[in-house]
Amino acid sequence: MTLRLRSSIAFKMMILVLGGTSVVFGVILLYSYYSSRSFLLEESENNARNLTQYVARRIEQEFRSVAKATESLASFLETAKCDEETLLTLLRRTVLRNKEIYGSAVAFQPYAFDKGTRAFAPYYFRGKEGLKFEQLGSDAYDYFTKDWYHIPVVLKGPVWIEPYFDEGGGDIMMTTFSFPFYERDADGKKGELRGIVTADVSLEWLARLVSSIRIETSGFCFIISETGSFVTHPQPKMIMRESIFSLAEELKDPRVRHLGRSMIRQNSGFVDIGSLPSVGEAFLAYAPISAVRWSVGAIFPKSELLADVTALHQQTVLMALTGMGLLFLVSLLVAKSFSRPLRRIAQATVQVAGGNLDINLSDIRSRDEVGQLAQAFTRMTEGLKERDFIRDTFGRYLTKEVVNRLLESSDGLRLGGEKREISMIMSDLRGFTALTATMHPEQVIAFLNRYLGRMVDVLVDYRGIIDEIIGDGILAFFGAPETLEDHPARAVACALKMQIEMDEINALNEQDGLPRLEMGVAVNTGAVVVGNIGSEKRTKYGAVGSEVNMTGRIQSFTVGGQVLISEPTYNKLADILDISDVLQVQMKGVPGAVKLYDVAGIRGQYDVHLKRQEEKRILLSHKINVAVHRVDEKTVALTEASAWIDEISASSAQVVLAYEINQWQDVKLLLLDDQSRPSAGEIYGKVVSVTQVGSHYVANVRFTSVSPEAYQMIHRLEQAT
Amino acid sequence: MTRHSLLALVDPMRRIGTALFLFALLQALSFGAWAQDLKKASLMPQWVPQAQFAGYMVAVEKGFYREAGLDVELLRGGPEKPPFNYLETGKATFCTDWLSNAIQKRAAGLRVVNVGQIIQRSALMLVAKKKSGIVRPEDLNGKKVGVWAGQFYLQPASFFRKFGLKVNVIPCYSSMGLLLKSGVDANTAMWYNEYHTLLNSGLDPDELTCFFFADLGLNFPEDGIYCMQETLESDPAMCAAFLNASLKGWLYAFEHKDEAVQIVMKHADAANTGTNKVHQRWMLDRMQDLILPGDNRAEMGKLKQGDYISVGEVLLTQKLIGSLPPFDQFYRGPK
Repeated sequence: MTLRLRSSIAFKMMILVLGGTSVVFGVILLYSYYSSRSFLLEESENNARNLTQYVARRIEQEFRSVAKATESLASFLETAKCDEETLLTLLRRTVLRNKEIYGSAVAFQPYAFDKGTRAFAPYYFRGKEGLKFEQLGSDAYDYFTKDWYHIPVVLKGPVWIEPYFDEGGGDIMMTTFSFPFYERDADGKKGELRGIVTADVSLEWLARLVSSIRIETSGFCFIISETGSFVTHPQPKMIMRESIFSLAEELKDPRVRHLGRSMIRQNSGFVDIGSLPSVGEAFLAYAPISAVRWSVGAIFPKSELLADVTALHQQTVLMALTGMGLLFLVSLLVAKSFSRPLRRIAQATVQVAGGNLDINLSDIRSRDEVGQLAQAFTRMTEGLKERDFIRDTFGRYLTKEVVNRLLESSDGLRLGGEKREISMIMSDLRGFTALTATMHPEQVIAFLNRYLGRMVDVLVDYRGIIDEIIGDGILAFFGAPETLEDHPARAVACALKMQIEMDEINALNEQDGLPRLEMGVAVNTGAVVVGNIGSEKRTKYGAVGSEVNMTGRIQSFTVGGQVLISEPTYNKLADILDISDVLQVQMKGVPGAVKLYDVAGIRGQYDVHLKRQEEKRILLSHKINVAVHRVDEKTVALTEASAWIDEISASSAQVVLAYEINQWQDVKLLLLDDQSRPSAGEIYGKVVSVTQVGSHYVANVRFTSVSPEAYQMIHRLEQAT
Repeated sequence: MTRHSLLALVDPMRRIGTALFLFALLQALSFGAWAQDLKKASLMPQWVPQAQFAGYMVAVEKGFYREAGLDVELLRGGPEKPPFNYLETGKATFCTDWLSNAIQKRAAGLRVVNVGQIIQRSALMLVAKKKSGIVRPEDLNGKKVGVWAGQFYLQPASFFRKFGLKVNVIPCYSSMGLLLKSGVDANTAMWYNEYHTLLNSGLDPDELTCFFFADLGLNFPEDGIYCMQETLESDPAMCAAFLNASLKGWLYAFEHKDEAVQIVMKHADAANTGTNKVHQRWMLDRMQDLILPGDNRAEMGKLKQGDYISVGEVLLTQKLIGSLPPFDQFYRGPK
């Protein structure tokens, strides 16, 4: 099962599609996760920063109003001299009217308020039971040594004092704004320092203020002073005991120290602070409270800031998974739609391999590549069928090479009838039919097979297509179905070669005591219809048309050893042909004289020439009487006794007749002895010319077939002369 | 019965026996202690509870004084509580204070004696901000330098004179606020205390220039244990026992620093000094450097005559004393 699954296209496609898309999905997912994450983080970071900024500003407002109240009290003290009562009233009002002020003092320089009093520092503050008053100058509370007094004196300017526990004063943890005030002369010019106006801010009050500012976070806020020590913190034991630097030292974490330095330098920022005990992984946003040079830090748990990111991520993953699921189904369907027809084609291929070409893939209707494959496959089986047919049709007559070439060429498959110019050869043995009548049937077959065997070989050599072999006659053509540009030359060369072959055949025949044969060959060129001819049961590739008949007629004018070609053939080859004679003949149904050319050879590429031995006619001192039979349609029709031969050669004779005979008449010459009895010798021939001499007609007869007896006789005569 | 089961039977009995014996012994010991009648004594340190006094706190907490036959009450010191006043008025049996201060007291007629010198090395220093361009003593010329008054001014004054520095001296008090607010360019500090406060106020060591008086030929031994001469003469054994138990406390603190810091924090929290563990740990570490310089345990608790004389000379020079009290009269601790 797994094996089948693994080897199926559907499986591979799914793996590829799912694998590919999951990689793409994965990459997109990661990209979108990280980009949206960084975007959302940036958002969260901005929110966190803004929130922290907001807290810082909110606190800053309070400090500013504290500073303002202190400043206005100081400037009043500088401009107007006031008695103790006014001073106390002012002081009390300052505390009462400013809820952010825990307590306020006007601490004078030694003896500055009253020449008799070293320390004078009235102080109003919010005690547990309402507003309380105290004089700060005492042995236990020497305010001149306190930072809140001493530092502005040295600095000669207002200062926010580092948070402290005001033991003996306000007795709480506080920070103090100290504002020095001076003597002013009439012009308002600054004189001696008179004292310090202070306003205290309770850290507890500050902590309440911080916690009242709603920040939507499960984290927390804290404030550190200028020196990094905690001013507010959810854990009270941290306040004023620990600083961000002591924390860094305890945690042995230089990054915390670095952060602390950044905070006290009044920077704002947003940092990943790792894991905190009760909060977990968290970010810290910080912003300065510049009025006091303090810094607000807000802790944001990562889970909270990243909630959007996490939600988004979950959604994306869910979408991706759903998408993958759908994709899985779709790719399954697609893969199946591909693999089903492919499997059908594969099965069909197996059938074809088994020899069954009747394939029906018409149910594969798709027009895509698979459909095209099915169509091509169907065409291929049709082509295979056609090829089989062609092989059946041509196999017998054509060489393998020709068949293959035909099948390979795209034109070769077009077998429908078409009109084409081709060259035709028609050959026939002179007087063969008559000859066979006297021969033993086996002799006839052996005789014919030897002859046809040779001729077919020659034809195939010249790429001739054998249309028909009827008895001793052969019809062949060149130029179809294979297109041969030089079909006239091939045909003529082939015809000449066939004639040359006849010499060898005759030599063999002679050895076997068979009669000598003469063959006439005609070549014609013209447009004919070529194609499959026949019925479904028996079909052959052949040619039909008047030019075929014409070839037959030309052939009938040939004598043994002769190659006659028609004028169209001649015209195509005139300059490479050796013509020994031009005949003017009359043909049935053809008006006027038809020119035929007796070819002796062809030059050029094929270069075939007949051995034309000029035969010398033997002038007979002693005439040979012959009985002349006219031979029509291969049958001896008439006998004419009063004739004789006065000249003879191995291939022709001059026959003197007492009656008229037509040119091109086929004749049988029956040799007679002195007593006018038929001797064994007989000769077939053709009247090639007739002349009337007085009352006699002198016919020139070319032999087509000479019986062995007659041949011997002629041979004897030749030797005698 | 096998031997094992016999043992099993005997063992718990033996355990009970051991426990009973130990209980009885403890009873006897404590009874003995009571019988010995623990001598009551008190100690007034010269400053608020912090690791500067870890040895005494540990000695109380670990029962070292008790072992030495003393029932010591550790009084809470502070800036407004001059320890010699407590000796003089009999509110404290012992106190700790700086050698320079004690010599002045003795020279001024207060019959105090040193029964042991704890801090051998001066922790007083001048810390300057490099930002103010101060890296060498000469750089202090014309600069505002915050100095603590009184005995804390002895070394700075000698230092300024020694280097011919003309500085703008700003008297200041306990906090580093002025230096932090850049009201001064340099300030006196204790190495074990304010220096670390500066570090934990966000200043890095490389932003600070430190002038240790101990390295500038002004090594004034600091905390020593003092009592009235009468106390010593009436019960020298008690004084010796007090010193030894105190030294034992210090050694224990140095060897068990986490525990010691815990003890210190307990006292500091009770006094609401607003300190933290890392600060006290730093202080304890420095105490070890100051009490046991070079880890020389043999010299622990001893005042060297040379140190006494060099401090005395500075006091004479600055006309803070008319004459230096004889060393043998002043120092009555281990030789």
